[in-house]
Amino acid sequence: MLKKFFTVRCILTFLLLLSSAFAGYSIYYKIKYWGFGFTPKQVSDVWTIEAHVSFMPTGDPIKVSLTTPAENNNFKILEQDVIAEGYKTKKITGETNRLVLTSPAKQGKQDIYYRVMLFDNQDAKGKTKAPAPQAPKQPYFDDQTMATAKKILKAARNMPGNEVQQLINLFNQPTPDANVLAFLPLQKNAKDTIEAIRSLLALKNIPSRTSRGIKLAENKKAFSADLMLEAYTDGKWRTYNPADASIGVPSDFILFQRGGSSLLDVEGGEDSVVKFSVIKSVTSSISLAGKRASIAKQKTMFDYSIYNLPVVEQNTLKWLMIFPLGILVIVLIRNVIGLTTMGTFTPMLLSMALIKTGFGSGLLCFAMIIAIGLLLRAVLSKLNLLLVPRISAVVIFVILIMQAFTIIGYKLKLDLVSAAAFFPIIIMAWIIERASITWEEDGPVNAGKQVFNSLVAAIVTYFIISSETIRHIMFAFNELNLVILFIVMLLGTYTGYRLTELKRFSPIAERK
Amino acid sequence: MFKEFFSSFASPSSLHKAGVLGMNCRNYKFISKYNNRRLYPLVDDKVQTKTLAAKYGITTPGLIGVIEHQYQVKDLLHIIGNAKDFVIKPAHGSGGKGVLVIKSFTPDRFVKASGDTLTFNEVYQHISNVLSGLYSLGGQYDVAVIEELVHFSNIFKDYSYQGIPDVRVIVYKGYPAMAMMRLATKASGGRANLHQGAVGVGLDISGGHALKAVMNNLPLTNHPDTGAELSRIQVPHWREHLIIGAKAYEMTGLGYLGADIVLDADKGPMMLELNARPGLAIQIANGKGIGGVLKRIEHYYPKDLSPEERVDFVLSFGKK
Repeated sequence: MLKKFFTVRCILTFLLLLSSAFAGYSIYYKIKYWGFGFTPKQVSDVWTIEAHVSFMPTGDPIKVSLTTPAENNNFKILEQDVIAEGYKTKKITGETNRLVLTSPAKQGKQDIYYRVMLFDNQDAKGKTKAPAPQAPKQPYFDDQTMATAKKILKAARNMPGNEVQQLINLFNQPTPDANVLAFLPLQKNAKDTIEAIRSLLALKNIPSRTSRGIKLAENKKAFSADLMLEAYTDGKWRTYNPADASIGVPSDFILFQRGGSSLLDVEGGEDSVVKFSVIKSVTSSISLAGKRASIAKQKTMFDYSIYNLPVVEQNTLKWLMIFPLGILVIVLIRNVIGLTTMGTFTPMLLSMALIKTGFGSGLLCFAMIIAIGLLLRAVLSKLNLLLVPRISAVVIFVILIMQAFTIIGYKLKLDLVSAAAFFPIIIMAWIIERASITWEEDGPVNAGKQVFNSLVAAIVTYFIISSETIRHIMFAFNELNLVILFIVMLLGTYTGYRLTELKRFSPIAERK
Repeated sequence: MFKEFFSSFASPSSLHKAGVLGMNCRNYKFISKYNNRRLYPLVDDKVQTKTLAAKYGITTPGLIGVIEHQYQVKDLLHIIGNAKDFVIKPAHGSGGKGVLVIKSFTPDRFVKASGDTLTFNEVYQHISNVLSGLYSLGGQYDVAVIEELVHFSNIFKDYSYQGIPDVRVIVYKGYPAMAMMRLATKASGGRANLHQGAVGVGLDISGGHALKAVMNNLPLTNHPDTGAELSRIQVPHWREHLIIGAKAYEMTGLGYLGADIVLDADKGPMMLELNARPGLAIQIANGKGIGGVLKRIEHYYPKDLSPEERVDFVLSFGKK
């Protein structure tokens, strides 16, 4: 009884369950901490933002306080560093992150560089919560200004959008309203517009704040921070783009600072300026995985995974990692469906070749190589050569056919035939040799059937492993190969009928 | 049309009820369990089989010579000596591949069983192919076995086109379990393999008479080429046939084997070759699955009997 309990099948089933559980956990882990996904998102954008703070010291001890970006729904900080010679740096995290640099009195123009690398945040999809703000302080207006403000608010009601958007839209009109012009200073900038809108919102008792950030764009050099307007309506803060009144932080916008505090405070200096530059670089998701892992403090496990290898090795492994799935398909085709093919793994190697050549052109090429090869082999059989030299001759034939195809394909600009070079030469030669012998011994029908079966198996395998998503999953979640291993081993104990046997033995089936 | 297609498949349960043994089940429960790989060379190498068979008192076709090296091929005529006919086989061949039957010959003209003639060069070439492993399992270098041609009994003359009709007996744990006769046809090219289009005639294991005949999985009553009525087949010396099969168990130690036996006009039944992975087509020829009888042998047949006693045990079922 106990012996029966520990049969091979039981042990394998147990191992299969164990490996599935492990794979399940591992997949969860990789998605959560390493930022992997099921879809083959090949690249992540990495943004490097550099803030250049410059000012003239006044001779007093210097204290520079710069707002640094907070991680938000869209972006996560990869790395940040400061270049500031002779300054003591301190990071303050809180509602807004600030970088505080202190130094005794200095002479000459000061340059401080703060650099931060951000990547799109796939992990934290949490919502930013904010406490309800107090009612805004009413602005102090003289009677005339107050009258203008009231007129503007009245005019805004005809604009589209909600209360905040109405105001922004009114200010953004191509030919501004006379009242709007009167309300704004003569030399207006984006900041003035936002201030004006904020004071008008205060009149309507809507809390608002200005936030600063960087709109990410490639190779943006030396510009000042972009401004966003945030207003508290319907119980939550909403960010409005002052340029077009759209709601929400644009996906390419990284907020540095929210509300109250200033972007840059400099004590002991004057004429302070902060300028930003942005560089976008593209990195593969998997190469970012290490950074993500270290951010998540899960670095050790990552050090021993394949994603830590150089890209060339990773690409090789990416190919290898799809093999087990192909093997599983072959096992199913042979032992469960019961199709006889030429050579056990020939169909799998053919399907690999089909991926490189492309489906249609690959099949065409395959057919042509086999046809020409069989023809030459028929001629060869007349010469009565010994086996090894004969097969070798077939191999050389195949190489020559491939060469000819490639050259002709290039000359005639036919991609179809230039795919020939990707077929595994020895496999092709072996197919030709076996097909030719089967032809002689069992007739052309049997030979054709075997080649056809091999091709069917190759096509089925092709459609499974050609999927970019499946290839990505098998590489990114390579522990699935362990599951495949035990499935294959468990199939090794499958004693049921093969699909083809249901037909083969149907004459002797017990009919009711 | 689809309905027709699907109805050509049997349900797994109906096959199971009929006791049909599938390929996976055969490999897992019988071959890998009872046939130790270490023993395979005994049946895969015809030279070894022959010498071993002689030790166990099993008749096999007489050995004329063995060609092991390429340089020996040119001495073919010398090796054959004064034999009138002969058969060239790869020692590691299977399924009749690479078997060349020469009915008569002059130094430069060799007449095949089919009547075609070959030149010495062509025979030379054939032997070279055998030596280079073209017909052997796994393609390794092989040796060519030259043995006497079996002068098969005239009883079956009408039942076969060219090739020799042989009897395949499946032997499980020393007990003959199922048997069939294989008859070559024109379609099979004179070879006795069912998948090549030979006729399979299921034989009653306890009597040696025909039960049913199939060709290409379809039942038939008469031989397609000679027209002979297949149901009239009664294999003579049936007990001797079975004893050869039963002895093969002791001889090889293989728990599940197929013995191919031919009836020589003068020497009686002789063992042609043994197979450690006998095919499953025998079930179709018999019109029933082999699973039932295998189970009975496993559970109810007595153990520790001599080959003759086992055969008599099996034959006793027919006498009731």
